[in-house]
Amino acid sequence: MILATVLGMAALVFCNRYLFLEPRLPLRLGRNLRTLLEFAVPGMLTAICGPILFSGETSLAATLVDPYPLAALTAVGLMLWTRRVLTTVILSMGVFYLLRWLL
Amino acid sequence: MTASRRRAFLQGAWQIMPLSLACAPWGLLVGALAIETGLSVLEGQAFSLLVFAGAAQLVALGMLKAGAGLAAILLTTLLLTSQHLLYGLHLRRVLAPQPLPWRLGFGFLLTDEFFALNHAEQPASFDRWRALGMGLSFYLLWNLFTLAGLLLGRVLPNLGALGLDFSIAATFIALVVPLVRDLATVACVLTALLVSVWLHHLHWQGALVLGGLAGMSVGFLVRRLRERLP
Repeated sequence: MILATVLGMAALVFCNRYLFLEPRLPLRLGRNLRTLLEFAVPGMLTAICGPILFSGETSLAATLVDPYPLAALTAVGLMLWTRRVLTTVILSMGVFYLLRWLL
Repeated sequence: MTASRRRAFLQGAWQIMPLSLACAPWGLLVGALAIETGLSVLEGQAFSLLVFAGAAQLVALGMLKAGAGLAAILLTTLLLTSQHLLYGLHLRRVLAPQPLPWRLGFGFLLTDEFFALNHAEQPASFDRWRALGMGLSFYLLWNLFTLAGLLLGRVLPNLGALGLDFSIAATFIALVVPLVRDLATVACVLTALLVSVWLHHLHWQGALVLGGLAGMSVGFLVRRLRERLP
């Protein structure tokens, strides 16, 4: 079961990644599709974050004292201020653990 | 490898280093969860060596632990990693002209982080050795962190409850913030956030992909509308 899961997942992930890199696949990117793809990074990465940050709590009041969204806001502020990825990640994780300990 | 290629390779490895280090908690988490789920160290390492997709690996381990079947896990993986189709589409102009071994290699190494660093590349300026340096060094560190998680997971149970998943969110926030420069991107990010959280609460497996696509569509519409307005 575990071997089948690992091999099956590996095959699927590779196919998703490789499919459009294949030049024999007939495909031309129009202006509209290119504009749409400009939003792929912000759109997809934000969508991956969303459920991590807001999965625990169901009410708005609980969200206000949840370390995940609060530390995420801190990360946004730190990135705007410092413009450095590693600094932002390390400091916001520090804030995250501080809040977990406090709240 | 000539000197200039080696230099490009090392430059790429250096450029992706902040992202590689930032995914340390994530790799630890995957390793620790693999042990908790009942995988051996070898199986856990094979998981990271062959699949190399952190988010999908975390979700699959959760599902294995909950006793889900193979078909359900594979379907979830397909949905959860379908953003890579978009990445491939986006990088097609740069990567499709490469020879087959390079294409296969980049296909394997095409992670969220690799895409974030290469999405603005033009065919004329693209240096495949630098890109290879990024992809391979990220792969190497990801696997070392997984190994550390596997070994730690054997001595420290309950590593999974430490909130290490916040590091994923922090990394992606750090990648997205510099990209938010106009109203269209703000609309894209807010829509992606709201839709993914909402669908996740409804337990939709495709919450990530649909949230991302919704954000992209709204960003696209806002950009086009603003072009029409004076």
